[in-house]
Amino acid sequence: MFTYIVRRLSQMLPLLFFASVAIFSLVALQPGDPLDALRMANPTMTQEQFEALRRGHGLDQPIYVRYFRWLGRAVQGDMGRSRTYGVPAAQFIFQERLPRTLILTITSLTIALLVAIPVGIFSAVRQYSAGDYAVTFFSFVGLSTPNFFLGILLMYLFVIYLPETFGFRALPAGGIPNLMLSDLETGRVTLGEYLRQWATYLVLPVFTLATGSMASWTRFMRASMLEVLNQDYVRTARSKGLNERKVLYKHALRNGLIPIVTLVGLSMPSLFNGALITETIFSYPGMGRAIFDALVNKDFNVAMAALIFIAILVVFFNLVADVMYAVVDPRIRYD
Amino acid sequence: MTRFFRAIVLVAFLGAALAGPQDNSLVVGASQEPVVLGDLLNVLGSQAIASEVEIYLYAGLYRVNLDGALEPDLVTEVATVENGRVVITGTPEEGQRAEISLTLRDDIAWSDGQPITTADVAFTFEMTRAPGFPQTTDFYDRRMVEVQDDRNFTVIVEPAQSSDFVGSPLDGPLPEHIMGAGWDALQQATAGLDPETAAAQFVDAYREFFSDLGSSAAINEGRTVYSGPFMPTRWTPGSALQMTRNPEFHNHPDDQDAYVQTVEYRFITDTNALQFSVVTGAVDVTGSVSITFDQALSPQLRARAADRYDIWFIPSPVWEHLDINQFSNVQQVADNQLDDIRTRQAIIHAIDRQAMSEALFDGLQPVSHSNTSPFDPIYNPDVPQYEYDPERSMELLAELGWTRGGDGILQRTTADGRNVRFELEYVTTAGNAVRERQQQFIAEDLRQVGIDVRINNAPSNVVFSSDFINRAYDGAWTGMFMFAWVSSQGASLNAQTYLCESAPRPENNYSGQNAGGACSPRYDELRNQAVVELDLAASLPIYQEMQAVFAEELLAIPLIFRSNPIVVSQGVVNYVTSTFNRGYGYPPYRPELLGWAQNGATQELDQSAYASQLED
Repeated sequence: MFTYIVRRLSQMLPLLFFASVAIFSLVALQPGDPLDALRMANPTMTQEQFEALRRGHGLDQPIYVRYFRWLGRAVQGDMGRSRTYGVPAAQFIFQERLPRTLILTITSLTIALLVAIPVGIFSAVRQYSAGDYAVTFFSFVGLSTPNFFLGILLMYLFVIYLPETFGFRALPAGGIPNLMLSDLETGRVTLGEYLRQWATYLVLPVFTLATGSMASWTRFMRASMLEVLNQDYVRTARSKGLNERKVLYKHALRNGLIPIVTLVGLSMPSLFNGALITETIFSYPGMGRAIFDALVNKDFNVAMAALIFIAILVVFFNLVADVMYAVVDPRIRYD
Repeated sequence: MTRFFRAIVLVAFLGAALAGPQDNSLVVGASQEPVVLGDLLNVLGSQAIASEVEIYLYAGLYRVNLDGALEPDLVTEVATVENGRVVITGTPEEGQRAEISLTLRDDIAWSDGQPITTADVAFTFEMTRAPGFPQTTDFYDRRMVEVQDDRNFTVIVEPAQSSDFVGSPLDGPLPEHIMGAGWDALQQATAGLDPETAAAQFVDAYREFFSDLGSSAAINEGRTVYSGPFMPTRWTPGSALQMTRNPEFHNHPDDQDAYVQTVEYRFITDTNALQFSVVTGAVDVTGSVSITFDQALSPQLRARAADRYDIWFIPSPVWEHLDINQFSNVQQVADNQLDDIRTRQAIIHAIDRQAMSEALFDGLQPVSHSNTSPFDPIYNPDVPQYEYDPERSMELLAELGWTRGGDGILQRTTADGRNVRFELEYVTTAGNAVRERQQQFIAEDLRQVGIDVRINNAPSNVVFSSDFINRAYDGAWTGMFMFAWVSSQGASLNAQTYLCESAPRPENNYSGQNAGGACSPRYDELRNQAVVELDLAASLPIYQEMQAVFAEELLAIPLIFRSNPIVVSQGVVNYVTSTFNRGYGYPPYRPELLGWAQNGATQELDQSAYASQLED
């Protein structure tokens, strides 16, 4: 296993190199110039001044020269400054946007798993029961409801309709609470109040984001458990008189979880790259919006920092999923 | 069911802070967040939301009031020839020099109590003169500042232009006692660099300097001071910016406790979510960068307005128009004869702009006949107007040799014997629903007269990139381009956009804002005459004739002037703006007067004098 991990890690470097070339090229080949915004804001800037700026930023150089200059700085940890926000790109991504995205995505992943696994098991164990049909029905509703529709529907329901009908204060329509971590240190808010405020802002986007995964993982869990429950060793366990609880949770569940572990492992990178649609609908300033805005605004350094980070995560979590697969299933050996 | 939902939401909001009149605060909803604050010299680029928030934080030498007139802010009076503070020498032909003498008030101070003096004025001006400073504008190139003492100084403008007297003679001062040391260090660090070869290093250094003073982190650490009625106390990126009254501000109302004590900008970037926040009362008023015009007209918002909030539509100086590619070296331009005034007349006669304004905007975005706002003091209401007249349009097209083909589309034989159809490319910003709806309307009208419109939209970063919009000469776009210009009073007097020399061509390295290459020698002649005539009474007829020439020769096809919606909760007083308030119409006029009527704040300003409401 150790050799396998080392070999996979060594393969990551050339893979990331090619990924960075592809990302750099795509970002750099976008129409327009990163300095266009500066020029639009300053209409009296002469063409000579504009050209001097382009030269100064190396934008007059061929793309491969620009790539190697960027790479030279990036390997030293210098991802440049955000053109839009004026702060170091790495600081903007890793200190400001990433933590917020992780709050949203990890909460929704956790909720999705906490619901999908037991409901999937229930559905498999009670196959063709009314409960199974209900779970199947709601799973397909969840799978076939797009996030943008569900988000707006929930917002209308909990922000406008129910509060107006029943006369209570609405949930916030979007955004994040006016809270900083330092507020806890300074005692401006208590931990309880801090969590309560975050919860009010997170409830709708988390539910919106969790619904799709919840529905699909429920289906996977059900299918996987059904397959396992029909295996000989489960029949053997039952025939030797083990109680059903032990059969289910000790013998069947561990094997039934294998596909879920793979799916969760592969979805790890999406925890970090945010959820553009959900973030947009709920005005949630996370990674998805950051990457989208950086590409639209030609904020080159932010776009590169974020996309390379995601490329690293994809490669890394693929490896983690493979390793976890071996941990969960002792039959799998890589050496 | 009822109990269940009540339980969920009541638990969620248990202990939520009371807002609005209860704690004498005001929440402003905005769909954008400033990048930095205090970048009064636009080093990081101009941003509407930052300019709006800076109205609360910084006082200028002058301010533009609701009627578009100048008022003193940090100075004792506005300089005029009549009060002897403006002395003009020279002649319009040889260039004139204006000496503008100003006196700072004796009761002005930064938020840390330090007096605002001419040292701050001179320091701010000197920044713009530093080597490699990114904003090397013509505005500063023509200025010098001479300081007499702590309160008196003179701004020398040479050569002076008419636009120099419709705004503040300099940008509002920045605090020398806070920024001076950092600025000196920056100058030393860049001392050995050549502004020509190291332009990027200079730009990056200046951007970093202003970011480090005006970013959210800097504001939360209180790194700088303010001269306006409010000062920021807390900025949570992505969430909100809070401001409280600046105790050192010189112009608070006498009974200031009756007025709003804190203002909070809530940043809700999705306008649907922002609209919901308005409906639920989570925001008290909206700013200039907020809900869209469509949302302001929506039944969801209007149906809930009664007794809760007012929806105002402020006439805006933003002018939507069609730039036409008039570079005759481009094959499609020559084939379609777009450089012939009769073609442009045929196009405008074919478009029912009034019907479009009524159908799409309930008439709240009026049809324009020139590029000058009806609220601009130089506006000429009597310019030639091309009314909707498809018959006349077809006559003009027939004069140009076009006949209807079997498919209903115009065609003609060119001088070199080719048969061409009238296919007109139509570009605008993809994703801008309001523009795209106008485009459909206009394209349909043009098809009625036999012009086959080929829509070619792309995102704004693509169409406004310099290798697209400025490359009409090379045929990057070959027909019509719909976009908007923001016309401040200064810009309308400067009138540089549609000069022949502003057309981007290879000879000028494709620089200039006259994207379609319109060129009228008469317009240029009038403009060059008007900008050096410093007496507005004397230059007014020239500017008005310029508008008539613009309208008649159709340097661009005028469509509409936009209208900006703002929502104001009932009870809020003095949250008022107008077309040219503070230069570009950003609300409010005087933040120090914001308050709630139920808390005793006096209403001094009336929005109805400057805006309209939709009648039910």
